[in-house]
Amino acid sequence: MESSPANPARGTAAAGPPDRRVEGRKQAPLPLTAAAFIVGVLFAFPALYLTWRNVTSDSDPLGLLTSSRTLEPLRRSVVLAVLVSASTAVLGTALAWLTARTDLPGRRIWRVLLPLPLAYPTFVGAAAFIRTLNPGGLANDLLQVVGIDHTFELRGLFGAWLVLTLFTYPYVYLPVAARLRSLPGSLEESARLLGDSGFSTFRRIVLPQTASAITSGALLVCLYTISDFGAVQLMRYDTLTRAIWTTRLADQPTSFALSAILLVLAVVVVAGERIGSRRLGERRPARTNPSRSFTTPLNRWRLPGLALVGGTIGLALVAPAAALADWGISGLIRNATGGRSLAINASDVVGPAWNTVWVSVVAACVAVVAVLPTAMLLARYRSRVGPITGNVIISTFAMPGLIVALAMFFWTLRNNWAAEHLRGTLFVLVFAYVVRFGAQALGAAQIAVAAVPDRLHDSARVLGAGSFRRLATVDAPLVTPGLLAGGGLVLLSTMKELPITLLVAPFDFPTLTTKIFQSFEDAFVAEAGLLAMVLVVLSGALTWLLVVRRADHLD
Amino acid sequence: MTKIEDSSLRRITATVLAIAMAASFTTACSSDKRELSEKAAAIVTGECRDERNQTVTIYSGRTEYLIRPIIEAFACETGIDVRVRWGNSTDLAILIGEEGTATEADVFLSRSPGPVGFLESRGLLGTIDDEVLSLVDPQNRASSGSWIGFSGRKRVLVRNLDLVSDSELPESVFDLTEDRYRGRVGLPATNGSFEDWFTVFRDTHGDEVATQWLRDMVANDAEYYPNNRAIVEAAGRGEIDMGLVNHYYQYQEAAAAGDAHRAENHDFGPNDIGSLLIITAATILGTTKDRGAAHELLAYLLSPQAQLYFTNQTFEYPLGAGITPNSILPALTALEIGSVDFDSLGGGFEETERIIRESGILTG
Repeated sequence: MESSPANPARGTAAAGPPDRRVEGRKQAPLPLTAAAFIVGVLFAFPALYLTWRNVTSDSDPLGLLTSSRTLEPLRRSVVLAVLVSASTAVLGTALAWLTARTDLPGRRIWRVLLPLPLAYPTFVGAAAFIRTLNPGGLANDLLQVVGIDHTFELRGLFGAWLVLTLFTYPYVYLPVAARLRSLPGSLEESARLLGDSGFSTFRRIVLPQTASAITSGALLVCLYTISDFGAVQLMRYDTLTRAIWTTRLADQPTSFALSAILLVLAVVVVAGERIGSRRLGERRPARTNPSRSFTTPLNRWRLPGLALVGGTIGLALVAPAAALADWGISGLIRNATGGRSLAINASDVVGPAWNTVWVSVVAACVAVVAVLPTAMLLARYRSRVGPITGNVIISTFAMPGLIVALAMFFWTLRNNWAAEHLRGTLFVLVFAYVVRFGAQALGAAQIAVAAVPDRLHDSARVLGAGSFRRLATVDAPLVTPGLLAGGGLVLLSTMKELPITLLVAPFDFPTLTTKIFQSFEDAFVAEAGLLAMVLVVLSGALTWLLVVRRADHLD
Repeated sequence: MTKIEDSSLRRITATVLAIAMAASFTTACSSDKRELSEKAAAIVTGECRDERNQTVTIYSGRTEYLIRPIIEAFACETGIDVRVRWGNSTDLAILIGEEGTATEADVFLSRSPGPVGFLESRGLLGTIDDEVLSLVDPQNRASSGSWIGFSGRKRVLVRNLDLVSDSELPESVFDLTEDRYRGRVGLPATNGSFEDWFTVFRDTHGDEVATQWLRDMVANDAEYYPNNRAIVEAAGRGEIDMGLVNHYYQYQEAAAAGDAHRAENHDFGPNDIGSLLIITAATILGTTKDRGAAHELLAYLLSPQAQLYFTNQTFEYPLGAGITPNSILPALTALEIGSVDFDSLGGGFEETERIIRESGILTG
């Protein structure tokens, strides 16, 4: 993922030769390597399952790879992934900079709202989007009032690109914003004092320092895009995931083979990003002092800045919410006025909402802890295990949820004890979530750990601080914003996860998303709208409580 | 700074612990509730029986909204405990295929016959006793006795009332390839019930006719939609003029959106392949540990009270107990899906999937 905005960093004189950085690193301690290795093996469960299925069934991934019925969808997947990664890299970075580094009005509110489009399950978000923007939709009604006849229709490559860009830019926005908040403002301040314009400061100082956050975010977007099914299905854009989905029952060997091709594509993309970002040779901040950040006055760029942030929120958050509200509120009105009564009551919302919240918080915490050893290996030590485990964790993000769910059953049923004690438990559900979404925490964690200066560690050691004390007093304060951002991503993704939850959750463990799915299946749109609104509001509350407020607190 | 962090770490740990404790507490006291919902109470004809210490596990591709009241009523009237995994029929069938003989499912309820055919080809289905099989007509069950239909959905054409006049309505699906329908028809080409419908289409008219029809539809700029609901919703908004769907989404959309939903169902002529009845199927897994309880459940699905519920509450076609369809439903014609021998189709679904994909409808 060498997305364009990261390229200027290559030329900066400030970037040190990358080799020296690696050479100067210490050998990794054995417990850390062992922990990362075990985590890596656990994350490889879905990939191993997929390999096993391909080997034991008469599937033919190589033969498929050369047939046009695979190559066309594959090409579309790649085109879409490149476009969405590029646009989210630009949009996410711009939004992060505007809300973290400038005097843009309403920054605190924007910070709560901007991550939220991630809360829409794509099957809901895309359907709501269509309901609002397509012919005969809400925007249409609104425009007709002012005399505009609007016949614009979202579909195909453009529709899929737009919806995915709007729903995935938080993958870039969140880590970049976290990164910016932990960067010292002194360099920007000096640049401005020496006469650099705001834009040139951004290009020469901010971009190089956030390049790794941008590329790791864009990498997640890229993997999400090649694995997405909901948006491409509703926008009728025929990608590899759709071929996997349509063949999954009628022709399982083909479906497994296509999934294997998807996984190989993911591994190639992840390896490519690693090589690319190594060549970028990002410079670490000279000194991290989050208490002194720098605010760029926007002046005449205030209005365009507000327009970008407001426009993004309007399209990505408000437009789908309008459709949900329209469905939900008209259902409530009909219910109150003696029309069709709602098929859900308060307990149908409260129980699933509670299940959703606590299982997602637990999954987010476990995911952060699980990826931490790998993040430390990657950021601080010379290690072979680190990069391999890292690639496994991140590539798994491109696995279709169905494969992850089937892998859970495959592995628990291999062993009598596991089959009896683990199948259908929350333990396996949380494990599946962590495996599916751990990648989202890894990028952020790695950047956070890398931002801790070695000298600080050395000084603490010289002063006699033990390793645990160093962790609590040196690392924790510095890495917390990054870890929170990573955990926040996992949290939002888990709250809206569908295929794994449907198959792996214990009996009688409804979540908001499984309820929304069922509502949509039988066209209970009022119920779907209400439940989806609860999901989005809860996601917003949790993001604020656990991520934004705490990060602000650390400013 | 560090002090703040120390305490905040502790606070996070405390929060997680509290949440975990609260969670285990709520799960511990949420069991053993035997209150009936209003809808379930309306189905129950007798009294609730004491629990019998028997459990049936259902994997249900039919959603909670439509089926749960019947399951609650069943649990009440028989005293049999029921566990349900709700999901998509296709994914649940794949899951049972993955679990194999270790599956926890006793009964699988499918929205359409395709996923059932998949399980049958894997040899995972048991045989349903004649006593239960005889509750429906032979054309609505498998001749092998592996599955039984318990409700029906009819294929219809949904149309926008402002964009399609009465005189323009086709008499047959074959008319839809004419020029006057160019770019106006939506097809849910990857939807399970469409695939099943197309499989029967191939069986009835032959592969050549069916394949040609689909190609002609693509040449006539038919629009792909991911599912029935999306077409009904789009027709109601006027995004598309008409589309081939299952009949019953129209009732839910109309109930939810009221007059703003400008669409109506149109029934093709009698004996037209376009008005096929697609049945929802119930099966018993070969590995069930309680065949008796599973059979009781299937029999309950076909009982008069359950069949009445299906036609009056979910607007489906009843298949058993001599119940007549709700009068708002279009009349049934002779053509019902069970009249086609699914068992003889063999790799029918795989071939259907291939023909649909190669027709180019997905990339249109």
